Parts: sequence; structure tokens; C-alpha cells
Amino acid sequence: MPGPLAGYRVVEIAEGVAGPYTAMSLADAGADVVKIEPPQGDRSRAWSPSIDGGDSPLFQALNRNKRSVLLDWSSDDDLGVARRLLAQADVAVVDKSGLPPELGWERLDAPGLVYCAISGFGPKGPWADRPASEVGAQMASEATSSLGALGEEPVRHGSDIGSVFAANHAIQAICAALFARDDSNPSNPTGGQRVEVSLFGSLIAMRSTLWVALSNPDEWWGFHLDSYVKPPDHGYQCRDLPIYFSLARIRGDAFDSLIDELDMSWVRDHPEYEKLRTDGAGGAGRYAAELAPVWERGFASFDSEQVIEIVERHGGWAFPMHDYERLSRDPQVEAVGAIIDVEQGDGTTMRQIAPPWDFEGTPVSMTMRPAPALGEHQSEVLSEMELLP
Amino acid sequence: MPGPLDGVRVFDLTLWMVGPWASTQLGALGADVIHIEQPSVDPRTLGAGVPPTINGTSIGYMTWNQNKRGLFLDLKSPADRQTAYELLQTCDVFLINMRPGAAERMGVGYEQVKAVNPDIIYTAITGWGEVGPMRDKPGADVQAQYFTGFWSVSGAEGGRPEVYRHMAQIDATTGNVAAQAVLMGLLARKRTGKGQRIHVGMLRAGMALQSGRLAEYLSTAELHQPQGSAAFATAPDQAFQCQWGDWIGVSVTSEDEWQRFAAVMRESEAEVDGIDHLATDPRWGSNRDRVARRSELAAMLQAGFLQRPRHYWMLRLSAAGIPCGYPISFETLQHHAQALENAYLREVETSGWGKVWTGGAPWELSRTPARWFGACLPGEHTGEILDELAVRRASADEPVAVIGD
Repeated sequence: MPGPLAGYRVVEIAEGVAGPYTAMSLADAGADVVKIEPPQGDRSRAWSPSIDGGDSPLFQALNRNKRSVLLDWSSDDDLGVARRLLAQADVAVVDKSGLPPELGWERLDAPGLVYCAISGFGPKGPWADRPASEVGAQMASEATSSLGALGEEPVRHGSDIGSVFAANHAIQAICAALFARDDSNPSNPTGGQRVEVSLFGSLIAMRSTLWVALSNPDEWWGFHLDSYVKPPDHGYQCRDLPIYFSLARIRGDAFDSLIDELDMSWVRDHPEYEKLRTDGAGGAGRYAAELAPVWERGFASFDSEQVIEIVERHGGWAFPMHDYERLSRDPQVEAVGAIIDVEQGDGTTMRQIAPPWDFEGTPVSMTMRPAPALGEHQSEVLSEMELLP
Repeated sequence: MPGPLDGVRVFDLTLWMVGPWASTQLGALGADVIHIEQPSVDPRTLGAGVPPTINGTSIGYMTWNQNKRGLFLDLKSPADRQTAYELLQTCDVFLINMRPGAAERMGVGYEQVKAVNPDIIYTAITGWGEVGPMRDKPGADVQAQYFTGFWSVSGAEGGRPEVYRHMAQIDATTGNVAAQAVLMGLLARKRTGKGQRIHVGMLRAGMALQSGRLAEYLSTAELHQPQGSAAFATAPDQAFQCQWGDWIGVSVTSEDEWQRFAAVMRESEAEVDGIDHLATDPRWGSNRDRVARRSELAAMLQAGFLQRPRHYWMLRLSAAGIPCGYPISFETLQHHAQALENAYLREVETSGWGKVWTGGAPWELSRTPARWFGACLPGEHTGEILDELAVRRASADEPVAVIGD
């Protein structure tokens, strides 16, 4: 059964993470995505790492279910092909990495097209023309202030959060614009439109809770305010692995029992014992950062699973801090099917992350087509184009 | 022009952050979002009680319930449940984030809602999924950050990985993914004519957010080690310290950019061995060569960046089309033309907490613009919404059927 976006045609002219992720999600949901690449290919094909010199895993993961067409913007014929493909499409996903001005929204004759442009810093303002950069956007939106230590080198979030946040917003805006287009009164159609998202704007939107907290708080406390000045947070190392935990409802007798079971009776003589009892752990704990070493001294005698069990039994919550290796073999991850096998053209299998939605009425197929070779679908797409009005 | 979802109505039975964030997005896109709270709700528990407060209410509530109308309904009371069913007949979307089974106990499981309104796009959001050993565990942003490895790929070079100290990114990502799912469900309904049930969970949404890094791990079985500001897949792509001690972030992600970057470094005439012929030096011949010798390259470039002020580098790199940026803090951002002209940050009026700063709509739609307004008080629009239902009842051709549980 086709996914929710079956029947929609998408043209992608984008590279790297944000644009390709957007179009990959639309493809996962059932849309037909044609990826237009320059002669040298999407830049992320050449990113690291590489198995046997081939395309990077990131490229393979973000370009599944697409068809690739190679077009050269120095050729008028190829520009004409792109214009025609766009005119036949419902959606364009473009970024500014080398997009020729002839393919700008205002120059196209495609009244029904939802044209989504993804930029670094947004369509207006003094930085409108600056190219997009994950680390530049993370720094400019102060996302890097949630990592590292004051006065030290900025630390980026190691996942491409600015680009994927922008992609998530782009998917929303595209679907909403398609809804408006297809929903409007036939005598006064909304038609297609231009949609703009940016890495910078998306990172700012995702930090909204912080902006509200900074508006006019009754009292200056809470992780939304002091996360700027806290030291790096590594969780709580147990004998084997790190965990994270919160005392949650552990109070009074339960706290005493917790301390006894963890063989931490020595902590009762600690000068900050009262802070430890009341507000001394977890991401929201007022004194969590300064008291983490106290807990780690106790946890050093136990394996993480033991600490998790003891904390939970006393009314707190605790979770393992998975790295990708432990995550990838966790039973819950397996139960929800978060990792899927994608068969590649050479017969090998690549493991990738499943789309995040379950549609009971229009299920998404978990049988994925691999990312295309550069220009792999040239003749197929161009002959289809000839057949369409 | 009204927003793209003008005419769409959402029954918003959500709490804490992940569900409310999804409906905040739908409200910004023009849907009429009706946010339900229990009449007996303790104001101190709104927004999960996340500190700080403004006028005694958690800033969580007022961030996560923007662009909505507030309605009090007690779904345990038969009369209010009847009102809920009547309201649901006018809705396109039902949104809930509670543990599996909670909706059914309140009389608003999918089968129950579908009996009232078969066209409904019913969207349930969970923490860990609807199956598996963890399905009944509570799920919140912090747990999902630790569990999905979101913490494991960041940190100072050579140090232990560290947690991102802003506890909202997986919640908001899941909310965004849920809003996508609702929109896709609405589009599918145009084609099929049918409503459906949709599920989204934080675990899979949090993993999808990391699709690129996870693909790298799953292909190589090598864990990423923290490397400060530097990217894993590309080089040079990191922060450098400039002459006055401040930092600039620079990204070179294609060979074309590398050539232009090499020209900027050569023209800077920085006195560092080899910096004048980066483009022809075989050590840096391809991105993969540069990533393999990242530390060596970074040390050399760092020595160059230290010889000119940041403003110099911003001018020269921007002119050459090399992506760059630098750290900006909130006090500056709230007056910054780039944030304000795009309305990425804005100040909105609220009903109970004065003016607050907030992120705005992250999209610009040229023909059906998004909107943004401050959070409603719990139940603020109860009278207005009940009046609308009364008008509908009075004008109905047939009496509105009383619906059993």
C-alpha cells in the first residue's frame, strides 16, 4: 500500500544534509523524488568515511528512494530540462549551493509548484546571501553555548542538528503548502508558493523554551537559565558504563534506604548532604553539577544495571547512556524497528534509520531503494518527462 | 491571507512538551488548535513545572501552548465527555501524548473517536513506542537524549562525550515529526477520503534526527569520538580562534569551496609554512585526505587565523562564498537584524504573563503566511468554544445524536 504522499512529484536540487534529508523524508512517505546533481555529484558523496572509496554512508542514508539525474548548469539544454521537470513537479527542494538564477522561484513558469528554499540564515536581513554552514549556524544561534565550557573553544553538537531541524521544518511547510494548494476554492486557487526555511531560524525556533525563560523569570534558576555556565555534563559513571538519573520522588525514608543500598552511608557526613537529599541529581537538579562526583564515588562500586534497578525501585528514574553501539543492539530499538536493512545495488545490505512515523491507513514501505549512482536514472526520467504535459 | 491550514481544527489533548509542541506548529500554520486542560489542573504542574516561572507558571507551559485556544474539559465527567464528542465531530485532527492505554480509559481511544468522527486524523505520540519492553516507561526529553546516543557525539576534543545542556531538542524534534505526520495524514485523506490512526515515538524520532551519524556508525562500527567544534565528515569544518581571541566557524564541504578557501588563505599572507599553497599540496588533495589528517591541517590553519582579526576573516571568507559564522548570545540576538527581519525571534503578548520573547515561525510561506501569538491561559476560551458548539447545535438539521461510550 502506498505511503501518505503517494502521487506527489518532487524535484530536489540540493546537497549535503538539509535539502537531501527533506526530500528523503518525502520519498520515504511515498513521493516520487528526482534528485538533480551537478557533474561532480552531490558534495556529500565525497564526505568521510568511505567504504572502498564509494559514496559516504551519510549520502547513502539521506538519498535512498530517490532517482538521480545529472544536469550541467553551463548547458542551456540542461537548464531547459530542469525548468520542465520543475514545471511538472508538485514540490521543489532547493538550496543555494550553486543554484543558477534561472531556476529561482520568480523566474519559473510553474504556478502550482511548492518551491522550498533552504538557506543558512533566512531570506531577509543582512546575512540573507551567506551560504549555509552547520557550525556557523550553531554558533550564531548560540546553540554551542549548551556544550563545552565558558572561555574554551566552542563545541558543536556532533549531529547535524541545524540541518536536520531545518529539514523537519521544511517538510512541515511543504506539506502545509500542498494542503493549501489542493484545498482551495477552484474559483480562487491558492496555487503553489515559495517557502523558505533556514538553519539559523530553525535552531532559534528549537531553543524557544530558553527565550521564554530569559524573558522575565520570577527567580533566576533552572537548567534553562544556568545551562550557560554549567560545566560539561558527562552523566554518572558507574563501574561499567555511564547512566543518567533523577531522584524524582525519592524523599525521606526512601532516600535513606537508597543511600544504604548504594553503600553510601559516608555521604551523611558530606557538608552538602542537605543539597544532595533535596535537589542533587538529574538534568534539572539545582545542585546536580557540583554534586555529580559524590554520586560517582558511590556508583563506582556498582554496575549500571544495578544502579538503575536500585534507583527505580526507590521511586526515581534512571536510564543507561547508550553510545551508538549499545543503542544499535538495544531490545527496544529492535522491537520498534528503528533500524532497517536497505539492500544496495551491489547486493550488500546497509543498515539505516527507519522513518519516524507509523501510518496505519497508508503505511510507509520499509523496503527502500538504495541511494542512486550519479545520473543513474537519466534516460528513465527524461523519457517520462517527454510523456508528461 | 489566512494560513495554509485555515479551516483545520485540532483537538489537542496533550501535556508537557512533545505533544504541545506539535500542535503549536499546527496553530502557527493556521489551524484552530483547541488545547484541553482539566478544570481542576494545579497551575504548578502546567508545563511539567519546569523552572523558571513567570507569574508562578512554568515557562514550559507558555512556550509550548502558543497559537492555541484554551478549553477546560473533564473527560471523567459524562457531561464533559459528551461535549468532547460533540467537539470532535467538528475536528480534523486528534492529538494525544500519553502512555499507551490512557486514551482508551478516558473514552478517547482511536476506536471511540473514530465512532464519532471516522474522518479524523488521530495521532498518538509516545516516548518509546507502542510495542517492546519499554512501551510503558515514561519518556521525556532527557531520557531520550541519553538513550539515543544524542549525547555521545559531542564534547571537547580528547575528552569524554557530554550532554547537550538544553533539555528540549528531542521533545521538539518529536513534536515536529508528529506535526509532519498530521500534515501527511491530511494530504493522504484528500486522496483516499479516509481518516487514519498515526503513531510517532520519541525513540525513533530521536534516532532519525541522527540519521547521518548513525549511518556512519552502522557502516563502519567505529564510534565517533568528541572533537570539539570540528565536523566528522568534512575538513576543514570547525571553529578557529582569531587575532583578538574571538572565534569564527568555517566550513569547507566541497572541492570547489576548498579551492576558494585556499585562495583566501594565500591572499591573507599569514606567515605559516605551507599556507600559501594549500590548493596544490598533495596532503590536502581531497576531502577524505583532509579529514584523515584533520589535526595536522587544523593546527596549520589555526596558526594562520590567529594572525588576522575575525572581522578580516568574515569579510574575506564571505566574499569568497565560504560558509562562516560566529557565536552570538541571546542579548545580541534579540536585537539582531538577521533574527528580527526574518521574525525568528519575537516578543508576543500573553494573557497571563506579560510580554515574552519566543522563537517565531521557522518558515516563511509567500502566499499563506504563518502566524504567531502568545500562549492561552488554561481554559481561557471555554465560554467562546462552548458558544460555538451551541450555535452549531441550534443550526443542525437533525438533532445531534447523543453518543455513548
